Amino acid sequence: MKKLLFIFILLFSINSFSQCVGNQTSTITPAGPYLPGDIVTVNYTLHSFTQINVNWIHAFEINLGPGWLQNTIITSGNPGNPGGSMGAWIWDNQHTFPSGLNFGPGWRFVHAVVTDWGTNSTGPFNISFTVTVKQTCTAEDLSVAITVYGDCQTGGWFNGACCNDPAYNIYQGNVQVAPIVTSNINHY
Amino acid sequence: MKKLITVLFLIIGLVSFGQTTANPDIVCINATGEQYFVTNTPTSTYQWTITGGGGVLQTGQGTSLITVDWGSTPGLYPNAVTVVETTASGCVGSPVTLDVQVLELTLQPVSSFCLTDPTYTLSANISGGTFSGTGVIGNDFDPATAGVGTHVITYSFNGCTTTTNITVNSLPVTGPIQHY
Repeated sequence: MKKLLFIFILLFSINSFSQCVGNQTSTITPAGPYLPGDIVTVNYTLHSFTQINVNWIHAFEINLGPGWLQNTIITSGNPGNPGGSMGAWIWDNQHTFPSGLNFGPGWRFVHAVVTDWGTNSTGPFNISFTVTVKQTCTAEDLSVAITVYGDCQTGGWFNGACCNDPAYNIYQGNVQVAPIVTSNINHY
Repeated sequence: MKKLITVLFLIIGLVSFGQTTANPDIVCINATGEQYFVTNTPTSTYQWTITGGGGVLQTGQGTSLITVDWGSTPGLYPNAVTVVETTASGCVGSPVTLDVQVLELTLQPVSSFCLTDPTYTLSANISGGTFSGTGVIGNDFDPATAGVGTHVITYSFNGCTTTTNITVNSLPVTGPIQHY
């Protein structure tokens, strides 16, 4: 069925290279800047995903700068699958898709019939997680971004659409490290 | 009221941060128990290093206050005292250093005097200090004022002292001329 749809769309060559990711919003609390050890909560919503050329949404990758402790991510529920295909979202710290895409950490959809396909859902999708700032002495990068992948990027579908959706930036900043100010040496 | 608050802050500031030591710091040869400190951050540790001048760290390693005994070799020792602060989270600060001048005072040797000799100008290897003792007036020694005997003359500079003895001899007592 999906292939038939693909052929149909290919014939009419409509929006073959358009972006599939619709409006995205996010919150991060507390607001930055952040000190070592701070714990923040990130909420992200992809309000819609347009299935150009039957490209289905397949994964949400959380891109964290090295100032975050990657292994402290605690997720709160999966992104949801309103009206979508049979299958389930699973959390993966690392996964290599058939396209060779090195994915993770993040949520990826495992289709119940063809595991390399995404889900037919158009959203909305919600992601919420907490993560902790690393104990560090340097002002390491604390960027937070989410990249949405369609199954054309993961290799489950080959129609060339939605293969250039940029990452969505949630936060840009660095760890706030207090400078160590040692006084001059004094002599009684 | 505003002036009073300003004065209070000034006093609190002086108590909290102590004196500021000039660089180089001047110590006397063979000085013992000299205390060095930095403003303490209670959660930090402090690694001190003493180099040159025969200095030996005696107490306080790891804390913000140490005591040092200095040696007997005078001279200027750059970066003789170094401290590196490490925070509770393991972050290491930049080294803070202090040069040390180990000072040895010496007085120009003085021969003995006769009671009627004129005043003598005292001198030391480092000028600017203070002479004291019997017969000392400013930088001069006056045998007549000192009187007959051996006198201890002290020279002090920057907390260091040195002493020397000066002897004033009595005049000869010659009897009347006799005719055999």
